[in-house]
Amino acid sequence: MPPVKRHFRSSVLSALILAALAAADTRAGEIAVIVNLAAASISKEQIADLYLGRSDAWTPIDQVVGSAIYVEFYKKVTGRDSAQVKAIWSRILFTDLGVAPKQLPNSAAVKKAVAANPKAVGYIEKSEVDDSIKVALSVN
Amino acid sequence: MGFKATPAVAISMLALATMRAHADATIDTIDRYVTFSGFGTLGVVHSDYGEADFIANVIQPRGVGFSRWSAAPDSDLGGQAKFTFTDALSGVIQVLSRDDSNGEFKPSVEWANLQYQITSDLKVRVGRMILPTYQYSDTQNVGYSLPWVRIPIEIAYTDAGLHSDGLDVLYRVKTGSVTQNLQLQWGRTQVDLPGVEYTSTPAAVVVFSDTLQYSDASLRLVYQNYSSSGLPRVRLQVSGAGLTYDPGAWFVMADSNYSQDKYFGDLFAWYVSGGVRLGRFAPYAIYSTTHAQSVGTSGLKSLGNDHTVTAGVRWDFAKNFDTKLQLQQVIVDSLDDPATFADVRPGARVGDKAHILSLTLDFVF
Repeated sequence: MPPVKRHFRSSVLSALILAALAAADTRAGEIAVIVNLAAASISKEQIADLYLGRSDAWTPIDQVVGSAIYVEFYKKVTGRDSAQVKAIWSRILFTDLGVAPKQLPNSAAVKKAVAANPKAVGYIEKSEVDDSIKVALSVN
Repeated sequence: MGFKATPAVAISMLALATMRAHADATIDTIDRYVTFSGFGTLGVVHSDYGEADFIANVIQPRGVGFSRWSAAPDSDLGGQAKFTFTDALSGVIQVLSRDDSNGEFKPSVEWANLQYQITSDLKVRVGRMILPTYQYSDTQNVGYSLPWVRIPIEIAYTDAGLHSDGLDVLYRVKTGSVTQNLQLQWGRTQVDLPGVEYTSTPAAVVVFSDTLQYSDASLRLVYQNYSSSGLPRVRLQVSGAGLTYDPGAWFVMADSNYSQDKYFGDLFAWYVSGGVRLGRFAPYAIYSTTHAQSVGTSGLKSLGNDHTVTAGVRWDFAKNFDTKLQLQQVIVDSLDDPATFADVRPGARVGDKAHILSLTLDFVF
């Protein structure tokens, strides 16, 4: 293999690795917990209580179960993985004391739902934050 | 409401579900009116003890004996339909197939009730509910929701009544960061009492519980009263206290109850359990026991006595599935119907040790 070509290949490879790392970094990066512009403030403990079914003072909105942001959010805010969260909601579901938060397909949909409901809480990538909603908590 | 009323409830729920009112498609509106879900466990148990049958649920008349494998004690399958009529009114039906007091897997209706949300903190249910006598008793059949293969049987020894048909009031009170969930259940149940042949004696039941939740910690206090006019006439009171601390990476849990009954005497049952979560694996240990505290008019001195040391591991190997492997040593402390066993044979002796191996696959859908 000519040295130039080899060099090119390794550059492409490094670029790809860097890009992948950058992408992974963004995905696992900062998450913003968002509320309606008209909403009061909410603490991390209150947010955890909502998403674990211990409170229904607000309306939590979820991302797709098992998606990168879902996994990261539950890990950072509730200290639990997807299976633990599922076990908790199974207990609530099969005693008919509630239903798991409604799932929306992406951050744009979550943002729209939060902007439309003063009681809603959602979470999105920090890069998706705009002035239609406000950030209640930043999760690193 | 008894068994006979259940099909009528089912039909009216279906009828109401089809007559659903039009609703706006906002985020707050539940856009599906009927949701179906289910759960199940496939389990096998092996016992090395030949003098009695190991059982997984106190109502089971038979279990697994010496050098035998059995799928009966732990396997079950449940299906649930939830009907949402309006924002405030909903209904639920849950049907379960599990080895029952007749030793059959005949499907039975475990939940069938209408729920009305009066305020965001107050709701009322009318119909059939599983009794919330001890921690997790109302999800005892949903293996996926439990950290272990099953709830330690000793804690459930005096609570053979399964569901109650009546009224349930749930009220939530917030005081600073402590939330109290108060529950009052009042109705009729079929009660199978330990130490007697399995009869289905109707009993009036009242349960009051208060669960105090503070972040990852919860304290649960419960009082339950059964009154049955059958023979023998029974008044059984159960007072319990349970504690859970589960910050996610590990958990500790304890539960206890003291049962008072003139005929059978008083019994005290408790367990402590702890576990850690290492990725998809969650190893755990339990110590559980029940011991008679007084002699009733029956003359039985040590009804139910045994103690168990358990170790196991839960493995969440796939989405909505887990598998658990559990090993326990049960020590027989009485020949008067030790809680963990049925069909105690003449060769059984106090101090006998039984080793039980359980393997289960739990799922929810």
